[in-house]
Amino acid sequence: MLQVEDLMVHYNGAIALNGVNIKVEDGEFVGVVGPNGAGKTTLLRAISGVLTEVEPGKKEHPSLSGTITFDGKRIDKLRAWKIVKMGIVHCPERRRPFSEMSTLENLKMGAYLRKDKEGVKKDLKRVYELFPVLKERRNQMSQTLSGGEQQMLAIARALMSKPKLLLIDEPSLGLAPILKEKVLEIIKEIWRSGVTVLLVEQDVSITLAIANRIYILAHGRIATEGTKKELMKDRDVREIYLGL
Amino acid sequence: MITAYLKRAYSSFAAHVFDVPPRLLAFLLFVLHLVLPVAKPDPFIQLTVFDIFFLAAFAASWDLLVGRSGQISLGHALFFGIGGYTTGILSVNLGLAPWITIPLAVLVGVSASLLIGLPCSRVKGPYLALVTMALPLILVQLFKLDLLLPITGGEAGVGILLPIIPSAFFRMLGFGSRDAIRAVALATYYFALFLVFAASVILYKIANSKTGMVFVSILDDELASKACGINVTRYKLMALAISSLFAALIGAIRGHFATIVSPGRFLDLTVSFAPVMVAFLGGIGTIYGPLIGAYIYYTLDRFVLQKMTQIPFLAFTDWEHVRFLIFAVIVIVLVIKWPRGIARFVTDKLHDLEEARDLDERGKWIWKTYKKRKKKE
Repeated sequence: MLQVEDLMVHYNGAIALNGVNIKVEDGEFVGVVGPNGAGKTTLLRAISGVLTEVEPGKKEHPSLSGTITFDGKRIDKLRAWKIVKMGIVHCPERRRPFSEMSTLENLKMGAYLRKDKEGVKKDLKRVYELFPVLKERRNQMSQTLSGGEQQMLAIARALMSKPKLLLIDEPSLGLAPILKEKVLEIIKEIWRSGVTVLLVEQDVSITLAIANRIYILAHGRIATEGTKKELMKDRDVREIYLGL
Repeated sequence: MITAYLKRAYSSFAAHVFDVPPRLLAFLLFVLHLVLPVAKPDPFIQLTVFDIFFLAAFAASWDLLVGRSGQISLGHALFFGIGGYTTGILSVNLGLAPWITIPLAVLVGVSASLLIGLPCSRVKGPYLALVTMALPLILVQLFKLDLLLPITGGEAGVGILLPIIPSAFFRMLGFGSRDAIRAVALATYYFALFLVFAASVILYKIANSKTGMVFVSILDDELASKACGINVTRYKLMALAISSLFAALIGAIRGHFATIVSPGRFLDLTVSFAPVMVAFLGGIGTIYGPLIGAYIYYTLDRFVLQKMTQIPFLAFTDWEHVRFLIFAVIVIVLVIKWPRGIARFVTDKLHDLEEARDLDERGKWIWKTYKKRKKKE
């Protein structure tokens, strides 16, 4: 489904990703783990095409080489909105809800590209079933939601775009352990309903528990990959990268 | 069926306007305009009210761009001036009717905005603000060139523009020449009122449509908007084009009313800063706020500050500049105290009160159930 080959990303000459190869098959749940600064967020941004977005106040000029293909088509030169149209939806790090809007308006923005009103209504219902809190808070400004609710909102907003492949960036960031598990449980449920998921996480134990296959990213390279069993077998990997 | 439709229209209007005090205030100010000619006020007030009209609509167009889509323009006089000058030059030099020159002026204004927007909307930062601020000043200098002087009139400007509503029209209807002049003044007044109201309503509708929500999302978080599949560049350009369309339209019509288009009234820095001040006073991002802001601005300006010149000690020769200094201080204080303007301040306060009441009720409910449970135990 998704194939990333030899992906290199530089920020003003500093290498963030150095020849990354990743493959995600249809219906898989793939996790990417790695320490701070390994390039996890950069990888997701490169796939979803928002890499060229320059953060306010930062003077980064990222440059990208290598190929990214989705369903047999090259997407690494496409603009972000075209990639969303193809079915890759990015749920960004630190949630990033539209703070001036209510919860419902946020969800509607997620369905911005869709023309089928019936489908949107149905998906809204489904999202409310997955996250009952959001239904309760549908008219509340999203900046007044708690951290966990904002994370749920971000995932729900991504779901409203009807993704084939969902990219989730650090959903556990800043959440209490109970909430963490709850959010990841819901992500698993989304995967079960037929959405392919590529999850990026710092929390290794949780990712190991739910992903089919895991890549370990370190210093901009893929250190190793495999299922939970395969990774746990290798003592070096376990001690160096997973700290287990 | 018609009554049912009217009823529905009225209830939606009431829900939109009557429940929010600043909106109600803006609406009442508009109604005041509607009945003002009946009261036959003195010409000075009438002229001031006229200026308020134009400034309010001009600032509303600025507000859609800056308050809603977050692209800062510090030189909206550019589009206003292009509108005025295009219609002026065509009207005076070629003698074309306003009905032809005004749409052409709008067209030129929108094309100019797209030319500027194409490079500027792809980058983040103060570039659009800088470009829009510099261009009107460059235009003024260009208009003073010997080559262009016969067409643009340099410092003196272009005049005299044809009136939108010619008095010949009323004379044809059988008015006497004095009555015709009065009728023209009245027709002009209501035409301007209609124009400003229509422009404000259209801008308000756009700001609250799906497109308007997309503008807000870009202002809020560009990356998240991109992740939602929004073509950010296109929407930024669209906001700029819509805003410049209204600015040019209002500039063109202002030109016909003033009969002279000059750099001081159409391209000066003060023309660029007036909508900024008015929007900040009234409430940024509200679209209707600038009407309230324009009232405050002109009341202060015409009835307080200009009266101050009559005090011997304060009689400056270049009062214009001192006046702007005073306004600059007022705006700075406002930005610190009420950063979202007066209209937003009121609505935010009301919202906070509502939320506090909700919390209070929830707290009471928790306390009650807690007590009940304790009793049971």
